[in-house]
Amino acid sequence: MNQNRIILLLTLFVAGLSSCKKDKDDTAAPKVTNGLYILSEGLYGNNNSMLTYYNTSTGTATTDFYAKANGGSGIGDTGNDILLYGSKMYIVVNVSSVLTIADARTGERIKNIPLKDANGKGRQPRYVTSYKNKILVSTWDGFVSVIDTTSLAIEKDIAVGSNPEQMVVVGDKLYVANSGGNGAVQDSTVSVVSLSFMTEVKKITVSINPNSLTADDSGNLYVVCQKNFSGTAKNRLVKINTYTNTVVKVADTAVGRIKYYNGALYATGGYYGSAYIRKLSTTDFSQESANFVTDGTFMTEPYGINVDPENGDVYVTDAKDYLTSGEVFCFDNTGKKKFSINVSPALNPNTVVFIK
Amino acid sequence: MSPVALLAQHKDSVKTLEKVTVGSQRKKPTFTAITPAQSLNRQTLQQINAPSVGDAARFFSGVLVKDYGGAGGLKTVSVRSLGAQQTGVTYDGIAASDAQSGQIDLSKYSVTFVQSIDLQQANAQSLLQPARGYAAAAVLSINTLSFSTEALQHTRWQAGLKAGSFGLWQPAAGMNLVLPKQMAIGVNAEALVSKGNYPYYIDNGSSSLHTKRENGEMRSFQGEVNLLKQFKDSATWQVKLSGYNSSRGLPGVVVFYNERSVQHLWNSDYYVQSRYRKFFNKNTTGLLVSAKASRSYTKYTDPDYLNNAGGLDNRYTQYEYYLSAALSQQIKERLTLSAASDAAYSKLNSNMSDFAYPARKSFWNSLAVNYTRPLWQINGSGLLTTINDQVKTGAEANTISKLTPAVAFSGKLSANSPFMLRLFYKHVFRMPTFNDLYYRVIGNVSLQPEYARQYNVGLVYCTSFKGAIKHFSISADGYYNSIKDKIVAIPNKNLFVWTMLNLGKVNIKGIDVTAEADGALSKQVAWSSRIAYTFQHALDVTDPSTVTYKNRIPYTPDHSGSALLSFNYRHWTTGYSLLFSGTRYVLGENNPYNQLDGWGIHDVFVSRQINIKQYGLQIKGELNNVTDEKYDVVRYFPMPGRSWKISLLINNL
Repeated sequence: MNQNRIILLLTLFVAGLSSCKKDKDDTAAPKVTNGLYILSEGLYGNNNSMLTYYNTSTGTATTDFYAKANGGSGIGDTGNDILLYGSKMYIVVNVSSVLTIADARTGERIKNIPLKDANGKGRQPRYVTSYKNKILVSTWDGFVSVIDTTSLAIEKDIAVGSNPEQMVVVGDKLYVANSGGNGAVQDSTVSVVSLSFMTEVKKITVSINPNSLTADDSGNLYVVCQKNFSGTAKNRLVKINTYTNTVVKVADTAVGRIKYYNGALYATGGYYGSAYIRKLSTTDFSQESANFVTDGTFMTEPYGINVDPENGDVYVTDAKDYLTSGEVFCFDNTGKKKFSINVSPALNPNTVVFIK
Repeated sequence: MSPVALLAQHKDSVKTLEKVTVGSQRKKPTFTAITPAQSLNRQTLQQINAPSVGDAARFFSGVLVKDYGGAGGLKTVSVRSLGAQQTGVTYDGIAASDAQSGQIDLSKYSVTFVQSIDLQQANAQSLLQPARGYAAAAVLSINTLSFSTEALQHTRWQAGLKAGSFGLWQPAAGMNLVLPKQMAIGVNAEALVSKGNYPYYIDNGSSSLHTKRENGEMRSFQGEVNLLKQFKDSATWQVKLSGYNSSRGLPGVVVFYNERSVQHLWNSDYYVQSRYRKFFNKNTTGLLVSAKASRSYTKYTDPDYLNNAGGLDNRYTQYEYYLSAALSQQIKERLTLSAASDAAYSKLNSNMSDFAYPARKSFWNSLAVNYTRPLWQINGSGLLTTINDQVKTGAEANTISKLTPAVAFSGKLSANSPFMLRLFYKHVFRMPTFNDLYYRVIGNVSLQPEYARQYNVGLVYCTSFKGAIKHFSISADGYYNSIKDKIVAIPNKNLFVWTMLNLGKVNIKGIDVTAEADGALSKQVAWSSRIAYTFQHALDVTDPSTVTYKNRIPYTPDHSGSALLSFNYRHWTTGYSLLFSGTRYVLGENNPYNQLDGWGIHDVFVSRQINIKQYGLQIKGELNNVTDEKYDVVRYFPMPGRSWKISLLINNL
């Protein structure tokens, strides 16, 4: 073997490197008619949050819909929540610290609103909801940002508790779960914000680390509180009467996310609880069923839950092992699987919203 | 071009030769070792773009360096895909360790005063070594001149300055003074300042961005004092005092739409280590006593962390005390036995709440045997490791006691045959680290050790010619490694709360090829070259029902390698080096979205040696990443593009 052959061999190795590149799917975004969007948060540090469009008529899923609609530009890192409101979609991107506003049908970006403080520090937005012509975004630095749906500008930051998470609007009040999840001692309150005055009017003490909320049709609020790292606090479910803004029921039960629909509470088990979707009574939180799924459909890791208000179909997102592509299951209201959606290559689907 | 690896001698296998550097005109003893060994000597280290040992290690075959980019970026090595925690690192013969993370950051080790860096698979050739030396799957050893008996021969000094792109300034000076009574003292110090603000490109479709790395500044200062004493009976005693201080920004992962980074890390490490070595009974008995005490302090801050305390400020102090005694005995002319016993105590303190304050007692006891015939030799060892943890709060891991064997063989058909065959088998395990076991909710005290079995078959060919090519050596080793109970972090039911689990089985098949050649094109033009190529196929074989089954494990390219070619003409030296890596996957699910492109970078240098009276001056200019390749070793941690560096070095001759 001589030097030339060594160089030749080396050249072959280097040439071999570039020959096995697989391409991403770069087809155009489909036309959105009916169906749903699924937001997948991806994995921290990978900038791989994705939006899947699922057409219920044809049963086809288009993953990475947002990038297809925006010249390959991604949502960013950890898309945590999505809201369809009016003609727009609002995506809260936690680690990227932006609120992405896009056309609800085409997915084309209208604006990225950076949620950063005066020094450029990311405020880490978490969840989004709406009230009249305002969009409300909870941010981990302890505020709810108010964004006008027309000017698309931040009009106000309402101070709430630390590391606020989910929010629910009941009447002209906004209820915000203050988790304090990043602190050495977690928060244990729900902020009551007057939407007429855009200011916090009260803090209701619940239990440590409140994060998920849902409201029923008769003025009650259900708050999931999770235990702390050291284990001194318990997993609790707390019921608040929003007419009196007082706690009316507390029970020790471990829930991840919760959703009220038609007289019952649908609960995932979260970090400490059941591997199944449970159906709980709204009065005493007793289990109406230990496993809402009645046809034996297996889900690895129920992560997010939503109910289609029109027909009562229950959508559960399955995060699998959190490191591989997720799946979304649709069940009818008797717990039988209607269909499932593979959101590959998206990881960790967390939110399903319905296109109406 | 290669230094002599530690070579067992047929007639006197007890006596371990000190490392000596040989010129490129002699035979390549790296290619005669019983188990695969590779070496980068001082001359080679000066011809590659390798400011730290972590950069130099990229030139070894079978090695993957995880590199987060820039002067301040963490660099860890994984040999044959067994993981950084299975790779031992020794500095002047004594193990460097980190009980907290189990991996050594090789960006902390500058190569300025390094004499050679060696990578040894399985067991070292010498039987006279600490028992801990048998614990790792492979050992990367860093050797300085000041800790070898060569330092007794003459007084020498050197001073140098390097300047380069992105605000790099790196002054260094060292001196070795020969004292009366067979003693020598060596002192050296080095500082490094770098802005690390290199430009990078982030591909995000229509939102792609050309910008500069922020918060990449790095300042470090390190120094050493080495004492060496040789007694009349030729016993040697060495003492090293070492300190390292650094302050660095952590640029962090590039997040789309939010490139800001303010995290900062401070390190302050001090240690003292000592070795005493003596041969008795006409050199048939060897004794080696080693000791080390170290303190490592780390402070990490993240002012942007959104808690009520206004940010994170985590501090850790790690202590380790280590003692080792090794004895070797030549029983017959061809048979040597050795026994070694090591103990270490390490503990970790922190300012964090709910901290476990773990402490660990480790004991290693080894027995080894070597039988040498003129044409073949066989080497076997057994290591008993006992590890016992204590914590102040919470539960502690069970005590682990485990016997792990290794056996190696090498042989030739005839004394003049250019071919040599070598085989080895080694079983190793790694204890879960303090982070794996006790890190708040993430740690899992019920973790079991991670086991790895290694099988290797290799063929070595060495020959000499007359003409333009004088020497040519090539070694090819095929290997199969299987890992069980691999310790992996998985996000458990919440992406912000990860858990450590014994979850993995990995099978690794690979081939490491290393070739070296040198020669002379004319009386005045000499050349040398070195090629390392690695084929690896590391597959997750944990669970056939998952999508990751038989997919490649993250960050493991099938193909990777390096090449180096240099020419010497009178006082001029010029060289070219190449590093390349094939495509990798960043996650266990091998789809195009998780795929990271391969890369190849080309570096060139030219240097001129000027000798004036008894002083030597070397001026060197280098251009690194000539083609300005944009690449990531770890996804979204962009690496520097094209850069330059100029170095000046003055020494006595």
